[in-house]
Amino acid sequence: MSFTITCPICGKRDLYEFRFGGEVRGPRPEEEGLTPEAYSQFVHMRTNPGGPQKEWWYHRDGCATWFTVWRDTLTNREVQKT
Amino acid sequence: MKIKSLWGKPPMKSSYDVVIIGGGIHGLAAAYFLGRDHDVRDVAVLERRFVGYGGTGRNTAIVRANQRSQENVKLYDEGLKLWPKLISELDFNMMFLNCGNLNLAHSEAAMGALRLQVSTAQFLGVISELLDAKQCKELVPQLDLSDRLTHPILGGMFHPPGGTLRHDAVAWGLAKGAAKYGTRIHQQTEVTGINVENGKVVSVQTDRGLIRTSRVLIAAGGYSTLLAGMVGLRLPIHVLPIQAMVSQPVKPFLNHVVSSGAYHVYCNQSLKGELVTGSHMDPWPTYTTHVTAQYIKHQAEALTELMPCLRGLRFMRIWGGLADMTSDMAPIIDGNDPAEGLFLDCGWGYFGFKSGPITGKYLAQFMATGSCPDILKPFTRRRYQEGRFIGEIAAPVYYGPWN
Repeated sequence: MSFTITCPICGKRDLYEFRFGGEVRGPRPEEEGLTPEAYSQFVHMRTNPGGPQKEWWYHRDGCATWFTVWRDTLTNREVQKT
Repeated sequence: MKIKSLWGKPPMKSSYDVVIIGGGIHGLAAAYFLGRDHDVRDVAVLERRFVGYGGTGRNTAIVRANQRSQENVKLYDEGLKLWPKLISELDFNMMFLNCGNLNLAHSEAAMGALRLQVSTAQFLGVISELLDAKQCKELVPQLDLSDRLTHPILGGMFHPPGGTLRHDAVAWGLAKGAAKYGTRIHQQTEVTGINVENGKVVSVQTDRGLIRTSRVLIAAGGYSTLLAGMVGLRLPIHVLPIQAMVSQPVKPFLNHVVSSGAYHVYCNQSLKGELVTGSHMDPWPTYTTHVTAQYIKHQAEALTELMPCLRGLRFMRIWGGLADMTSDMAPIIDGNDPAEGLFLDCGWGYFGFKSGPITGKYLAQFMATGSCPDILKPFTRRRYQEGRFIGEIAAPVYYGPWN
């Protein structure tokens, strides 16, 4: 086991039960006046922080829920943050 | 006995013409070629840990030029031809073993992908051929061709020019060569900021003080996104953990690098007799270099299924590292964008070793003259907003039983 993720329904489970869904990027930008640069910022560019990151996870081998957690990418521990 | 350092321990200066962040193969190669080809000798290489620690140290040192996309094949082909010249030029034994690479296919879709890839290689003059299952077994007699396999072997692609090198030796050799031309290599030096004023790079902040410079190259592998973040730049990169292992040494039996996309495994036998084996990345970002039991189990299952004679072989070491993966599996090479004097060489993922010296050569040209060589032009960061993706993701290694 590498680390654990806490599913809101099933609780703390082995990481390998989950699928990673990317860092939380906020809402899709408005179509109106959307430049290729702004759109590629949303679609392709990532922040990859070295520290706490809000991210999506999917409980693939469990309850099939999508949820977000805050995880510190330097330690792989979940952190309390809102 | 006094051991002579290959690159010395020069004192830190307060300014340099060029500052290269990252003392791995890419950074050192750029430094070496800046000195050799362009007479730019006032160069500092800043390395947070030690030469060859990060991406250079975690890789499994396989070289080949049978990628999927034309942009990539041209670069890697030149890179492959550069090794022998580099070895004699640097007078440093990098233990180049030209053993050839065998990619196995386990589905009709993967065979189709191999056909396309072989065609691309042959079109560009790279030796690569399609094999049926029987020919694969002639190359590697240990392969199990029976239908006991979950995904039986249908055929393969053989690429004779490929092989392996000793990755540490490559880093050391390049460091020695760069130092000869005047590059100062500063280990244990962490960059904490990059200062841009009026759209131009002016200095680099380190834990050993401020360094004034007008040109900075970010060649920090898995840590590139953190450095780019210092100038507010976001990159299309995921930093994923990648693991590799070596087994106990055994008598020589495996004469080629063998890889399989469906089983997510590749392995080759080192000159010492160990099996060096690697696989996919875990699909979540992290800056830790943890290793996992799942990975060991996966590798053992995959290897023993493809080559049943390996059952009972013991693994000796396992290690983890970071891979800076872009979404189209091709690197980001950029210069003077968004700030003048800021150069990027990142997003190599697990292709960084094969491409190191050749990219350094062209990057040195880019940094010295200010104009991007044609061979590097397809790899700009702006290709993402222009919709010019590089189709490396269509390579057969990504073909599993699901397609």
